[in-house]
Amino acid sequence: MRRSENTSMIHLVIYTEAFFFLCLIMSFIYMAYNAGFAPRELSRLDIRSAGVYTVVLIASSFTLHFAEMGYSRGKPAALKAWLIVTIVLGAVFLAGQGTEYGRLIGDNITMNGSVFGASFYTLTGFHGLHVVIGLIILLIVLILAFLGDSRSAIRTIAPYWHFVDVVWLFVFTVVYVLPQFSSI
Amino acid sequence: MSICFPLPQPFHIVLLQAVEDPASIQAERINHLFNHFNIVAALVLLLVIVLAAWFSIRYRRRHGDNSEGSPKSGNRTVEIMMIGVPTLVLAWFFYEAFTVGNAVMPSSNPTRPPDIVITGHQFWWEADYPGSHVVAANVVHLPVGKELLMELRSADVVHDWWVPQLGNKMDLVPGKKNYLWLTINKPGDYIGACSEFCGEQHAWMRIHVVAQSPEDFSRWLDSNAVDASPPKDDLARAGEMLFQTRSCANCHRVAGTPAAGVAGPDLTHVGSRPTLLTGMLSTNERNLADWIDHPQEIKHGAYMPEFLFAKDSVLALAHYLEQLK
Amino acid sequence: MGATIKIPEPASPFPGLGVETEQGLLQWICAVDHKLIGIMYLVMSLLFFVIGGALALLIRVQLAVPLNHFLPPETFNQFFTMHGTTMIFFVAMPAIFGFSVYFVPLMIGANEMAFPRLNAFGFWMTLFGGLLLYFSFLAGGAPDAGWFNYAPLNEKNYSFHKGIDYFSMGLLISGIGSVATSINIIVTVLHYRIPGMKLNQLPLFVWMVFVNSFLLLAAFPSLNAALALLLLDRELNAHFFNTAAGGSALLWQHLFWIFGHPEVYIVILPAFGMLSEVFQVFSRKPIFGYAFVAASSVAIALLAFGVWAHHMFAVGMGNVANSFFSAASMLIGIPTGVKIFNWLGTIHGGKIRFTTSMMFAIAFLIEFTIGGVTGIAFAIFPIDWQLTDTYYVVAHLHYVFIGGTISGLLAGLFYWFPKITGRLIDERAGKWFFWLFTIGFNFTFFVQHILGMIGLPRRVYTYPNLPWYGTLNFVSTAGAMLMGVSGLVLVYIIWRYGRSGKPAGTDPWNAYTLEWATRTSPPPLKNFEELPAARGYRAWWEMKQSGLDGGAAVSQKEIEP
Repeated sequence: MRRSENTSMIHLVIYTEAFFFLCLIMSFIYMAYNAGFAPRELSRLDIRSAGVYTVVLIASSFTLHFAEMGYSRGKPAALKAWLIVTIVLGAVFLAGQGTEYGRLIGDNITMNGSVFGASFYTLTGFHGLHVVIGLIILLIVLILAFLGDSRSAIRTIAPYWHFVDVVWLFVFTVVYVLPQFSSI
Repeated sequence: MSICFPLPQPFHIVLLQAVEDPASIQAERINHLFNHFNIVAALVLLLVIVLAAWFSIRYRRRHGDNSEGSPKSGNRTVEIMMIGVPTLVLAWFFYEAFTVGNAVMPSSNPTRPPDIVITGHQFWWEADYPGSHVVAANVVHLPVGKELLMELRSADVVHDWWVPQLGNKMDLVPGKKNYLWLTINKPGDYIGACSEFCGEQHAWMRIHVVAQSPEDFSRWLDSNAVDASPPKDDLARAGEMLFQTRSCANCHRVAGTPAAGVAGPDLTHVGSRPTLLTGMLSTNERNLADWIDHPQEIKHGAYMPEFLFAKDSVLALAHYLEQLK
Repeated sequence: MGATIKIPEPASPFPGLGVETEQGLLQWICAVDHKLIGIMYLVMSLLFFVIGGALALLIRVQLAVPLNHFLPPETFNQFFTMHGTTMIFFVAMPAIFGFSVYFVPLMIGANEMAFPRLNAFGFWMTLFGGLLLYFSFLAGGAPDAGWFNYAPLNEKNYSFHKGIDYFSMGLLISGIGSVATSINIIVTVLHYRIPGMKLNQLPLFVWMVFVNSFLLLAAFPSLNAALALLLLDRELNAHFFNTAAGGSALLWQHLFWIFGHPEVYIVILPAFGMLSEVFQVFSRKPIFGYAFVAASSVAIALLAFGVWAHHMFAVGMGNVANSFFSAASMLIGIPTGVKIFNWLGTIHGGKIRFTTSMMFAIAFLIEFTIGGVTGIAFAIFPIDWQLTDTYYVVAHLHYVFIGGTISGLLAGLFYWFPKITGRLIDERAGKWFFWLFTIGFNFTFFVQHILGMIGLPRRVYTYPNLPWYGTLNFVSTAGAMLMGVSGLVLVYIIWRYGRSGKPAGTDPWNAYTLEWATRTSPPPLKNFEELPAARGYRAWWEMKQSGLDGGAAVSQKEIEP
């Protein structure tokens, strides 16, 4: 089957977004090496709960895949059910990120307080923004599915959602995992 | 008030103070490479001009000729030449760039201590001579014939040290130390300028290097290492009093007095420098008074604030500063 | 004989067909037709060209004599910043997009862009980005840290009025528009080519725009990231570039030039594409070495990402990094040189018609070579150490941007003018413009090479009266005035002959590509009803040769004198 215009379009969006996140991640690493992050601040990161939310977000990729399979097999009920699960998982991830932010701000780690604060909130914040955008689009797809839309946009949006999840794996690795192994 | 750039006599004789008139070993190396490049560049340009002109005349359409040109659409040999010849030429230039680059800048992280530390400020230069207590501003004295290691720092934004006749330029980057090697081989006055846009008065962040024989240089260094001379008359004494009590001392240092500010240029020997404000004004009592009276009219954007001194206070301050030889 | 085939169309109903052409301004604001959007891009580009040009003339007046007091320093700094930003982002980019969205669908035999509404979105974002940038003049002051806006001078503690915030927002917004349009162009080329036209046989303009769009999609995110970090610094007091609080001055330079150097190729590659068409048609020959011209664009696009730090040879990176970026930058000279010599090969053996368009193309060959060889000077890093940030670099970049990009765009403009407006310009007026512009340009910028070598740094609002400084600057200013006059002539030509030039017919140049196959000039709202299956980068020429052009060639012959 000929790939649709929409699929080509979303692949190009991912291509350009990948460069955007590459720049943000490189900036984070650059700041870590150039300015140096305070160990006190790094130690406030909660890798365990962040790990749990990471699993949640990755799981949402699988559930979205099930939704897409439901759609292509002509089972609207499966599409709707798995879409709802995906949206809930995405929302749980955002809530997790929100609690992490709340806790860090409580520890006085803020955007204007230190180089680490600025780097952390910028990188995770831009990722969170992409999750929010993805959730809005998934909600629209869901509403359209309930209204009986037969030409679902789910095939177009799915690669974007998977991309956002994969980006999180890189962000998680750079922000949470690597500092555990280095002395910066 | 007239703004001028008072130059020492030799300047007016020299036709072009330029990259093409090198006065240091480093500048000579680069100039040599630049000349090679210019020859090749001129040949390439000549080839394109000749071909374009020749084809334009030879293959112009004659009146009434509506036929097509030759259907020829490529030639493998020509294409290989187009790729091969430039590759060889560029490989040669890469080799030259590499050797000259390493000769001019042997290391970006030297092990020995620097002979001079230059700090860029908006919009003036601080020259620090480690081990000699000499801190000069804007007019930088350097000895001839010695391989100097210069350390370059910035106090605020990115500046760039460039004296064309002395060779390569180097940025002064805040939060980073950069180094420059310099072996001047002709005594003389050399001028340059900050070459990285650094704010409102970027144009007036000029450099004046005085290259001296080692004997003259050490004489200059000794004369500048001593504390400021005490004021010679009552007016100057009044000026010194004003200087110490009326905020001047917060930003400026005058060695041997309590004034120890570091935000502005060191004024211990300001009267002995030929120019003020990186060459905007020549040093005399009247220009000093003008500057103290209305700095923002003369060099808008400089950090020197507009004080509301009485006229006689201004004159006393200028009189005092002019005596700081 | 090849049967005629239907033209591929967007899945949704043909947009724009419902709009009446009598609706005046509303027709333009609501437009989703790629031709109307293309024209709006071009008009926007011309408008900003006049503004940016006026700024340049004011700059040159200030620099005409030593120690001049025509402009105060802060105004001068705002003007050169706005001049550079305007010319790159709101003149070169819209001009390129204008020609791209107008002619890419036509040249591949399509009736629309793949996403017509996204196309309109891209245009309006670009326009609003430009307006936002200029709004800064009313909001306290224009940006004043140069178009590359180095940290930490771009921070609030050094530039405290709102100019740089508007700069960042304006470029972010127009950048999003550019990204959207590039995606649109790629999808259009991938999905809407007339059957039979293979990707490796695209007309060269389409090919270069196609390659260029991938380059743009990879380069702009870096600028957007840099601007986002800068806005966080300025609005929320983050410390990315605030060196006094632990930030880094060099991070900005890296991010900016990872975008900035590819940007230079982004604005030149489509111009290369236009020139490739112009050289063919006015030499009456197929391009010399199609595969080499096409492949060299890909080489340039790939190498573009390995050269950014040649803007940073003087920041003290160390000679290992210097050598790497030096080698990569020199390598770019090879595919670029390949293009120059292939174009020379194209005119060799041709029947050259010296239209205004072709005059600009020939002048381009020489002027761009000057910009090209001085570019190699900056790739050789010891020479760069002497000449970077002097007037030599000003001369170099203007030879590349004006001698290269603008000459290419003007060649394209005069080539496609009859198609866009349906009218011919008076060639005598065109030649006047050409000579005024070219002589003015070379007077303005050639002497600046010498100024750089005798020690004049760029971006100074004034200079002391050193030997030759005054004379050479005065020559430069005089040349700039000549260019200013030529700009007025250009506006006059477009205005006068766009409305009342001689009717051009559909194919006045007896051209080779499909945009000349439409039934009228300007093309009807629906570009093509049907076309023969087309092949190759000279599809329209092949149709005319085999008599499949439906009589269009006949009507064209009646019009040509």
